[in-house]
Amino acid sequence: MIGPELIFFSDLIAILSIYLIINLSLNLEFGYAGIPNFGKVLSVAAGAFVAGIIPINLYGLILGIGKDPIHDNFEVVAEINAHIAAHPELAFAVFAITVIVAMIAGGTLGLLSSYPALRLRGDYLAITLLGFGELIRIIGINHTELVGGTLGVSLPDILSFVPNELRFFIASIALLCFAVAVYFLVSRFTKSPTGRLLRAMRDDELATRSLGRNIVRIKMKILLVSGMIGALGGLLYAMYVEGVVAFGYNRLNWTFLPFLMLIVGGTANNKGVLVGTVIFVLIRKLIVYYNDGLDGILPFDIIWLDYLLLGGIMITILIFKPHGILPERPDRLSGGAKKPEA
Amino acid sequence: MAVILYEGVIYACLLAVLCVGLTLTYKITKVPNFAHTSFAVLGMYMALVFTKVFGMNAYLAMPVSFTISGATALFLYYFIIRIMQKKSQSFISLIIATLSFDIFMIGILNIFADYLFNSFQITSRDFTLRSLDVVVSGVPVILPASIAALACLIFGLYWLLYRTNYGISMRAAIENAVLARTFGINTTRIFCTSWFLSGGLAGVAGMLMALWFQGDPSLSFILLPSVFAGSIVGGFSSIYGAILGGVLVGISEVVGTNMLANTFGSWIIQYRPVIPFIAMIVTLLVLPNGLVQLVSHIRSRVK
Repeated sequence: MIGPELIFFSDLIAILSIYLIINLSLNLEFGYAGIPNFGKVLSVAAGAFVAGIIPINLYGLILGIGKDPIHDNFEVVAEINAHIAAHPELAFAVFAITVIVAMIAGGTLGLLSSYPALRLRGDYLAITLLGFGELIRIIGINHTELVGGTLGVSLPDILSFVPNELRFFIASIALLCFAVAVYFLVSRFTKSPTGRLLRAMRDDELATRSLGRNIVRIKMKILLVSGMIGALGGLLYAMYVEGVVAFGYNRLNWTFLPFLMLIVGGTANNKGVLVGTVIFVLIRKLIVYYNDGLDGILPFDIIWLDYLLLGGIMITILIFKPHGILPERPDRLSGGAKKPEA
Repeated sequence: MAVILYEGVIYACLLAVLCVGLTLTYKITKVPNFAHTSFAVLGMYMALVFTKVFGMNAYLAMPVSFTISGATALFLYYFIIRIMQKKSQSFISLIIATLSFDIFMIGILNIFADYLFNSFQITSRDFTLRSLDVVVSGVPVILPASIAALACLIFGLYWLLYRTNYGISMRAAIENAVLARTFGINTTRIFCTSWFLSGGLAGVAGMLMALWFQGDPSLSFILLPSVFAGSIVGGFSSIYGAILGGVLVGISEVVGTNMLANTFGSWIIQYRPVIPFIAMIVTLLVLPNGLVQLVSHIRSRVK
């Protein structure tokens, strides 16, 4: 009944929405505030880990399931899913709690990374944040009680009450709603006086300080907010794929790729972020889609072609079109875009 | 215990070689090269090819890995960094470019590993060549070899920088590139040489590492924080500081992890990457300009 094209399209929308959320948060930090967060994976993984811990344990408490959620993962998840199918209202409550906890976790990690971000120069900051991002993966892999270690953990499906064949469509629509909401909020934010303050800070920190602005506070605030949004993205991804495997939260997928999308699309321009995200999600989906066709031809695993392609595109863009497809545009208030009066 | 000591000395010496390369290019062209350890992994694969495919002695791979890793670093500088610097792109963009090159290299290395496995049926991931090393009276040759590599580097760089005309122009280019150019020094050539040298040294360090440690394409990222930590502990501006920092971080990583594992249990071994970070954070808090600052401070006290 449902063709592969439709499934492809629905999945595309879902992944697009998730990456859009993450990229918008990175754009806040990097594009507007000028803080190169090379540890973006940190908040994304935090959100995903919370999604792997909270719902399953919360349901375990509510329903009184005596089994270990990691060890007897599949039985516990099946039991919870059966319950969700009968009582969807509780699922919404659990989802809301999970979102709140994830955002608190992401925000906390954002504040934590503001400590080095306020004090270190570009290169020192880059290696510190890269290391932070790697650390959360090491913790996730080695502490089985968190998210199942190397084997990962399955999550209960919050949408179990929806008929099976419609589940992914509904999920995609829900994710799209989240992405639109985040896009709207972030756009409002960047157009607000605070958004202008961010750009002023990025372009000339000293001048901004001389105008009586508290640089420390604004940097902390922005890392807090973008950490929260990043965690939301990670949580939605984990919920969408119904599982968390710590190995998946590597810097290629959740730090490098968002940076690539941002730079190709155009930093400090939310429309550019949208363009960049659409391009790369589409490219990657097509690679996966035609994976089977290429499998026999190439003498190596297709994954590595992805590395070559993404690294190569990034370097090419940096050399030839460093401002991206849609460069940052001057604000109307800053006078740059004003047409000369006749 | 002897094994831990061997491991500590080998790792410390080779890490110091890597730190020198990183500091060299950072000092000369002002780019922190996040792809530096990929050159080392390239050297590791050269050692693998020489021993397992050609059936030769591993040490014969040294000149080849020097050349190939050096050429790759030269490519990165000449075709990417140089052009970006010409367009006066931001420091962050340069960092992102080296990170992208690292991603690209990881792709290449993995493809190469797949190719080696498919065509020659040799273990190309998590491989170890330790058993192929020559053992002289109970001591594997890699131990004196890595010490010798570091010693040669110290004396070689001293000779190059302070005893040759080329070294003098190199130091001039580091101090003030524009002024050096007005004196007719070809600074582009000097920058290219330093990148080639830095990449080549990383290749040799990696090739030697393959004789003791497990080689894998993912090693490049595991090593990177340690190399940066060593350079930062050394001050990130002085070649000799980098040697000191690299040795210090290397020793503390191996011996420190071993001691902690003996006290708290083996689960802590997984957290070995935390040690270089602690070293880095302590340095930045206590001595922001690294050990070099301490040395000059002591010197001024003595005077």
